[in-house]
Amino acid sequence: MKKLNSRTTTGVAALSIAVLALSACGPDTSGEEQEAGEGVDWTEVEPAEEIVFWSNHPGGSVDQEEELIAAFEEESGISVTLENSGATYEETSQGFQTSQGTGATPDVVVLSDATWFPNYLNDSLLAVDEVLEAAEVDTDGYVEALYEDYVYEDAHYGVPYARSTPIFYYNADHYEEAGIDAPPETWEEVGEVSQQLMEAETASSAFSFPPQEEYPAWWMQNLIWGYGGSWSDEWDFSPVASEQTVEAIEFAQDATGDWASVSSGDPADDFGSGATSQIVQSTGSLGGILDTADFEVGVAFLPGGPEAEGETPTGGAGLMISADSEPEEQLAAAMFIGFMTNTENTAMFSEATGYMPVQQDADMSAVYEETPQFQVAVEQLERARSQDNARVFLPGGDLELSQALQGILTNDVDVAEEMESVQSSLEELYERDLASELE
Amino acid sequence: MSSAVQTEQERTRVRAHRRRQSKNWSLFLLFAGPNILLILAFIYYPLFSNMYYSTLDWRLGSSSATQIGLENYAAFFTSDSGLEVWRVTAIFTAGAVLGSMILGLLIALVLNKKIPGKTAARTAVFSPYVLSGVGVAMVWNFIFDPTRGGLSHILGFFGVSSPEWYLNEDWSLFMVIIVYVWKNLGYCAVVFLAGLQSIPKDLIEAATIDRAGPIRRFVSVTLPLLTPTVFFLLVTNILFSMTNAFDILRTMTPTGHGTNTIIFEIYLQSFGAYQRAGYSAAIAVVLFFTLFFITAVQLRFVERKVHYS
Repeated sequence: MKKLNSRTTTGVAALSIAVLALSACGPDTSGEEQEAGEGVDWTEVEPAEEIVFWSNHPGGSVDQEEELIAAFEEESGISVTLENSGATYEETSQGFQTSQGTGATPDVVVLSDATWFPNYLNDSLLAVDEVLEAAEVDTDGYVEALYEDYVYEDAHYGVPYARSTPIFYYNADHYEEAGIDAPPETWEEVGEVSQQLMEAETASSAFSFPPQEEYPAWWMQNLIWGYGGSWSDEWDFSPVASEQTVEAIEFAQDATGDWASVSSGDPADDFGSGATSQIVQSTGSLGGILDTADFEVGVAFLPGGPEAEGETPTGGAGLMISADSEPEEQLAAAMFIGFMTNTENTAMFSEATGYMPVQQDADMSAVYEETPQFQVAVEQLERARSQDNARVFLPGGDLELSQALQGILTNDVDVAEEMESVQSSLEELYERDLASELE
Repeated sequence: MSSAVQTEQERTRVRAHRRRQSKNWSLFLLFAGPNILLILAFIYYPLFSNMYYSTLDWRLGSSSATQIGLENYAAFFTSDSGLEVWRVTAIFTAGAVLGSMILGLLIALVLNKKIPGKTAARTAVFSPYVLSGVGVAMVWNFIFDPTRGGLSHILGFFGVSSPEWYLNEDWSLFMVIIVYVWKNLGYCAVVFLAGLQSIPKDLIEAATIDRAGPIRRFVSVTLPLLTPTVFFLLVTNILFSMTNAFDILRTMTPTGHGTNTIIFEIYLQSFGAYQRAGYSAAIAVVLFFTLFFITAVQLRFVERKVHYS
C-alpha cells in the first residue's frame, strides 16, 4: 500500500476538521425531529424574575411601552428589559430569526400578521394557550377576529397587540366642493363620486392606490372579496386567477386609467397634502393624517362589492413568546403579554397610537369624544375577516402579489394572463418553500 | 583540520541556523499570528461556512435544514429570476462604471486647468464619495418624488411631466444608476486628476509645437498615458459597483423594484420576503467567484494593453 506523506495527511485532517466545524455551527441536517419542548406542567413552574421584550415600538409607542412596563414591574415584581428590535416588523422578524440558537433570543417579541408564520415554521414560537391559562389570562375578552389571526392547527401563537384594519379616508372639503353628500358604500359608488371629484377638479387625483412598497395586496383583499374573489383558499391558489378576482382587479386597472392613480410613496402623504381626495389606508395612519391635514378628514367603512358588504382584512402586530426561553421565563412572559393587552391597557395604548383596542370591553368613550373618526374604525371590526394564506403565510406571497398589482395598475396589461402567472408563481413558491413542511 | 572538528563546526552552524529560524518563526507568530487568527475567524471561516450553507435548503432562523447539493446553484442559473438578476447587474454595472469614469474624466480635465476656486471645486466634487449611502439615497428620494420632488418642479417648469421613477422598473434602474454615479464620480475625478498631473508637461508642449490641437493632444498623448489610471479605475469601479451599491438600492427601492443586482438579491432572498438562507448563500458564492474571475481576467489580459511609460 502506498504510504501517505505527512502533507497529505495534514491536509486531509485539516479538511475534516473544517467540515466538522462548519457543519457543527450550522443547522441540523440529520433529518431527525427536533425536541418540541412540550408537555410542561405549568402548575410546577414559578415565573422568572426577569424577562426580555423586543419591540419596534409600533406607532411610535416607546413611551407607552415604557409606562406599561413600569406598571407591570410594580404589580408583578418581574423585571422587563425593553430592547429596540429595529424600525419595522420585518427588521424585528429578521433579528428574531437570526438570534435563534445564539442565546440572545428575547422572551417576548412583537411580530406582524405577515411575519409570525415563518417563525412558527422554524419552531421558534410557543403555543400560548396553556401558558396563558397558567398565567390566568382571560383570552375570551379578546376581539375574536383579532385573536383568531394567530391560530394554526388549533393552537394560538400570540395575542393581538398593535392591531389595525384599513379604512376609507376622504377629504370632506373636496366632497363639499364637488357636491357629494355622503361617502360611498360600494366600489361602484367610489367610481361615481370620483368622477364628480374629477369634474370639480378638487385634486390631481380622486383616488390613490398604494405602490408595491406600501402593501397593496393587504387592503385590496377588500376589493377582491367584494367581487367574490380571493388570493387563495387555504393552500389552493386557483382563486387568485378566478373570474371574480380578475373582474375586481380589472375594475382597479380601469380606474387608474380614469379617476385614480398609483402613489409613488405613502398614499397617506398624498392624502394629507391634498394631492388626492380619497385613499384606503391603515387605521394606524389616522393620527398622522389628522395631524398633517389642514382640511376636514372623513372616514368610512370600506366599500362593498357585488358579492360582499365591505369585508375588512385585519393587520398589525401581536405579542409572541419565544420557544427558546425556559418555562419560568415563558410563564413570566405570558403574564406580561396578558398585562400589556388587558382591557385597561389596550385602551390606553389605542388612545395613544391609533391602533385598535384588542379587548371587546375596552372603554374607548374618551377617545371617541376627541376623535370621532376612530369610532368608525372600531365599529368596522364587525366586518373583519382573516387574511388569505397566500398573503400572510406564504413566504414571498405578499411581494409576488404586490409586484403583480403594481404592474397591472401602471401598465395596460391583460389582467387574466397576469393573474394566471401569479397563480403559477404562488404555486411554485408553495411547492419550493412550504409544501414539504406542512405535509 | 580533522574531520571530527569539521563535523562539530557543521553541527554548530546547523544549531545556530535552527535557532535563527526558530527565533524568526516566533517573531513571525508574535506579530502576524493575531492578524492571521482574525483573518481566519472573520474572513475564511465565514467564507467556507457560507459555501457549506449554500448546499442546504434552509429557511432563515430554522434550526434544521436539508442537504440538497448544488440545487441552489442550479435554481439560480436556470430560473427566470436568476437570469433577470444577471441582466440587471450587467446594466447597473455598465451604467455605473461608464457614467462614473466618463464624467469623472471630464471633471478632472476641467479641474486640471488653471481656474479660480479649484480647491473648493475639488472638495465639492469629492465630498459625495465620503457621504453615507443611506443619507445620499434619502436626499435623492426627495428629489425624485414625482409629486413633491425638486426634479418634478424643474421638469414641470419646462412643461415636462416627471417620469414614474418608482413605479416603472426601467426608470427605477436608471434612477439608482444616476444616484450611484453622482456619489462615485468624485472618486474617479480625483484619481484621474492625479493621473493627469503625473503626465510630463514636455510631452504636451512637444505635441503643441507639432501643431496638434486639443483633441489630438488628448487622444494621442494624454489618453495613452492615462491608461494605468483607466485600468485601475476600471477594476475598482467594477468591483465597487457590484458590491458597494447596496445602501442606495435598499434605501431607494426597498423591495427591489427592477433593481435586483446580485448583491441586493443576496439580501432580498435571505432577509427579504423569501427567507431562503441557503439559496442566498449560493448567490453570495456566485458573486465571490464572479468578482474573482473578473479581477483575474483584467489582470491577465487588460493590463497587457496598459501603457506605463
